[in-house]
Amino acid sequence: MSAIAIAIILVWLATFVSGQLLFKRAMDLSSKVGFRNRRTISTLGIGILVMTLSFCLNLGLLQRFDLSYLYPFQGSSIIIIAVLAAIILKETLTPRLIVGTLLIAAGVALVSMS
Amino acid sequence: MPSDRQSYAGADRTSDRPTGFRNPWFQFVLNIIGVVIYELLLKAGAAATADPAKSWSWIGINALASPLTWLGIAVIIIDLVIWLYILKYIPLSIAFPLSRTVDALVPISCWLILKEAISPLRWCGIALVIIGLVVVAKPAAELEERL
Repeated sequence: MSAIAIAIILVWLATFVSGQLLFKRAMDLSSKVGFRNRRTISTLGIGILVMTLSFCLNLGLLQRFDLSYLYPFQGSSIIIIAVLAAIILKETLTPRLIVGTLLIAAGVALVSMS
Repeated sequence: MPSDRQSYAGADRTSDRPTGFRNPWFQFVLNIIGVVIYELLLKAGAAATADPAKSWSWIGINALASPLTWLGIAVIIIDLVIWLYILKYIPLSIAFPLSRTVDALVPISCWLILKEAISPLRWCGIALVIIGLVVVAKPAAELEERL
């Protein structure tokens, strides 16, 4: 795998994680201040823009790699999202949830290496 | 660190939880099916239009020439609406790990439908993902009890 491929995958992961956090923040905001509130709409809008970039990069990567090889890389975002959801969104991480998340990430890594 | 039985932040919208078709867990299943479908459509669309010789092809724009890609985009938009709905009721730290069911389903679907090869090591990885999902399912079930 070339350096540019690794770089593109990292940017793809970063945009994907950011988009998910923005989506959750937007939905939390919609519950508190309403869906038509400016903060909700702007957060959701930025999330959609970031996810659109992630989508385009995903298409570019799909043209070069088998889906079954490429797709599990996204699984590494599980740990990142769980940690950032706890830090940024103040969600609760239980020991069981952490273990399950690590198992899934390990499985995804194994799939990626094979 | 909180125990499994302590409350989950972000799970406060419990009193007005919808039932039936609008149940977030039912929508969750629809979302996973949607992800598997659009990933297969995007791969088929991207493969049909692949031109790696062009440097700008990394951004995948030329894949838009395939109707399969557009069909995949339509499924993505529907799936996005479903996902936003799910996030309104389920914490991201639970919803996202559970959504990784697709990490097992997509390679298996590729093996069945696209005839892509899966090595024994990759099968082990898929099994590990499934075990992890079972472990994560417990906190999700406890969240459901509170809902």
